[in-house]
Amino acid sequence: MDLEDILRRHIYDVTLAIGAPPAIAALADAAGQNADEVRAALQRLAVARILVLQPGSSEILMAPPFSAVPTPFLVTAERRGAASAESQTFSSYANCAWDALGVPVMMRTPARVTTACGCCGEAIVVDVEPDRPPHGAGVIHFAVPALRWWHDIVFT
Amino acid sequence: MLLFRSEEHVRRWCEQWALAPGATLSLEQAWRLAHGWFEADRGAPEWQRQPLERVEALFASLGLTGAFWNLRG
Repeated sequence: MDLEDILRRHIYDVTLAIGAPPAIAALADAAGQNADEVRAALQRLAVARILVLQPGSSEILMAPPFSAVPTPFLVTAERRGAASAESQTFSSYANCAWDALGVPVMMRTPARVTTACGCCGEAIVVDVEPDRPPHGAGVIHFAVPALRWWHDIVFT
Repeated sequence: MLLFRSEEHVRRWCEQWALAPGATLSLEQAWRLAHGWFEADRGAPEWQRQPLERVEALFASLGLTGAFWNLRG
């Protein structure tokens, strides 16, 4: 298994556990590599459009559908820990409205998306099941044609 | 991609920012798109990005056709 595969697996393991992708230093520790090697592998994952990196630091910005930085799409879920009967609140930020719907699908657990209307700021809460589509008002707008998504993946 | 209360709010937002309207999906359509996109376990050793043909088939299955959803240039 090459370093990119090791990092990809670890990034999603960590993100699904704590709600945000790990930093380069943590990845380096986990993979037993130095930070420059990890940074180079992250760049290769970004070129392959598997991750999006922050432009200055090269830290992870997006491990789709999760964001490493706060966004207007908060996704929360109640789930039971393996070692405890008490439920714990999982909390993460998604990159966009589409990704927010993808979080419960990826986690295979019900989740709540809390956001606001892109136009007027009215609060919108959508409860999402992993195995059936939500109902109710609300629409998702794609501003950029699919062919141009990767011209600037931050604005789509 | 943003969530809006209604298509009317999408229209107002596009007007406010002088943007041409893009594509608007219902919550159900968008969830089905998310399901097709994110169902696979990205942490699995064998995971790979979906080939173009599968993405096109996913779009088509949801009625997402035409120039806006074209992936081949």
